[in-house]
Amino acid sequence: MSSRGSAAGLVASATALVAAAVGLVRSKLVALATAPKRFVVMVQRAIYDVRTGKRSSWDVTKSVLMTLFGLAMVLVLLFPLFWITTASLAEGSRLFNTSGIFPDPSTYNLGAYRWVIFESDFFFVDGDWGYPQLVLGGGDGLVSFRWAGTETGPGAVFNSLYIVSVTLAAGFGMIVPAAYAFSRRKFVGRKRILYGYVLFTQIGAGLSIATLVALYSLFSTYGLTNNLFVLGLFYAASAIPFNTWLLKTYMDNIPVSYEEAAMVDGASFLDTIREVILPLTKPGLAVVLIFVWLAGWNEFIIAQTLLRPENYPLSVELYNIATEGRFSTPWTRFAAFANLFALPVAIVYFAAQRSVEDGLSFGGMEG
Amino acid sequence: MASSQPGTGVSGLARLRSALPFSSRDWGLLLVAPGVLLFSSFMLYPIFYLFYISLTDATFAGSVIGGGAELIGLANYVQLIGDSQFWTSMTTTWLFVAVSLVIKVILAVGIALLLNHVRVAGKRYMRAAVIVPLGFPGIFTITVWRGMFSDARFGVFNTILGRYNDVMSSLSAPQALLFDVPIGFLSGRWEAFFAYVTTEVWLAYPFMVIIIVSALQDVPRSLHEAAMVDGAGALQRFRTVTLPAIKGPVLFASILTAATSFQQFLIPWVFNQGGPSRQNELIIVYGYREAITFNQFGLSAAILIVGIGFVGLFMYAAVRYGGLAEGVGDE
Repeated sequence: MSSRGSAAGLVASATALVAAAVGLVRSKLVALATAPKRFVVMVQRAIYDVRTGKRSSWDVTKSVLMTLFGLAMVLVLLFPLFWITTASLAEGSRLFNTSGIFPDPSTYNLGAYRWVIFESDFFFVDGDWGYPQLVLGGGDGLVSFRWAGTETGPGAVFNSLYIVSVTLAAGFGMIVPAAYAFSRRKFVGRKRILYGYVLFTQIGAGLSIATLVALYSLFSTYGLTNNLFVLGLFYAASAIPFNTWLLKTYMDNIPVSYEEAAMVDGASFLDTIREVILPLTKPGLAVVLIFVWLAGWNEFIIAQTLLRPENYPLSVELYNIATEGRFSTPWTRFAAFANLFALPVAIVYFAAQRSVEDGLSFGGMEG
Repeated sequence: MASSQPGTGVSGLARLRSALPFSSRDWGLLLVAPGVLLFSSFMLYPIFYLFYISLTDATFAGSVIGGGAELIGLANYVQLIGDSQFWTSMTTTWLFVAVSLVIKVILAVGIALLLNHVRVAGKRYMRAAVIVPLGFPGIFTITVWRGMFSDARFGVFNTILGRYNDVMSSLSAPQALLFDVPIGFLSGRWEAFFAYVTTEVWLAYPFMVIIIVSALQDVPRSLHEAAMVDGAGALQRFRTVTLPAIKGPVLFASILTAATSFQQFLIPWVFNQGGPSRQNELIIVYGYREAITFNQFGLSAAILIVGIGFVGLFMYAAVRYGGLAEGVGDE
């Protein structure tokens, strides 16, 4: 398995990501926890205003109706996600039956999640869990790494994580310096390259499927199919235009005078990068982290075409569960698998939501 | 590389430059080059290679690699023009783009206005909630929608329609208002098309809502109040204050999401592979199936090149009319 070597780096980056995610989620939870109090104050204020005659009761009723309308709309829009979450809790009962759309709450159980963890290929093939082991001596150098206690080997999540680490490493290594150069330097061809990038910002995913036929031929020619490392590089390539442009616009908003001030104080060029540019670009870097991560984590059609089953990442496994029955999908298992696959990323995504929105509405805003 | 030159731009950068180990004017290019190289080799080169394949009579990957394919000029493109399947796919694709775009714009403007309205309490939380679809992988949400559009009698939408029928008939409504359940959402042509459009709208509205809300927030409150003092009604205020503010951003977002819908692959593929009987194959699905299912690599490449050409037009429109490339030129 090619993932052995990078295991240490993988663990380190995973820890950093989890720490960042926990921090973000906590700050969101604090904001959410104070929301009911603010709501109560608002209601009290409204009652007071009506009593003292500042607002008519019809005025308040209109506000209440509009709010209820908004809530109803949100519920309708989020219905699919609500449905699939309840479905994931109904392992063992028939989902499509006469009793209605949602499964009977009295039958809720975590059986589907147990299936994902202990029987599916999510963590280990066939859910046969092992543990990491460092081997001293032996054939593969001084210290080598292997999985012990499992007969079937590591599962799809490790393939996904490996792809994503390659995508993140290659993506960040190329995006951050390029964004800095575009924002701060003048050089030959700057405008032309930037223009080319902008043209490609929005069309990454569809374009890669369109070129799949050529990619497949090329990768076969160079013997690069079934190679997780190359696939990770490919996802990084598809993420470069959008994220470089995004980070450049972030850096454009940092006043040049900050760097000048640092230079006057005797900071070297690398000091200004480390002490001025990078700290001030942090929100931008967070968004780029999310987008680059998603580029490697979510894609499945190219992975499915280029890889062989033992290297399938989670996205392909998910698709296979969805299509394994000829006429029906095992919905509860699919839902549980999908929730474990998507939720960690979705939580980070919504924790950083404001920055993500800023990133998505880049350019064209002043229109 | 040119020899060192004193900086002529921002004064601080001149000092910054002189502090560098090397001071060629173009060293920024070195920072950009790796990304350009990676991008070109994985994205641009395949497009050129795809064009090359489209000029050959390659039938499968092996014939491209092994040299079994011969150059046949534009024969594949000529064949496409006479192929009724190509025209079916083109019409369906454009119809899909147009219908979903209209619904998307109306829905997104409605949501954005509601979630920016003074009378709605907890707007911020609702805004956070409505963009949820963006945070989940397409393969997940699209499969969920396929489940809800199940042909089965007790599929989600069929159940809802059944309930609706019960309510309507208890009100003794005329037969014309009732649905003939179960509807085969994925087995009829227009039923499947309807399912595609619904899903596409659901996937794409958050992006539009984000863009429109941020445009609405830039409209000063005083402008609305001034219009109100002048006695303008809600409709008139929408026309004179709101509409001018969101027109540009809506156009920008429309072009971009139209370009994405044009390349929609996952929805038709996951729902019913562009069926029934190849009637709903959007252009990328059509190209993909010609290659993978029917072993027509040359023809498939020609289809995909046509598709990429249209996407290029979308991007040109976005730059020309949507101001996509604003900020490329500025320093």
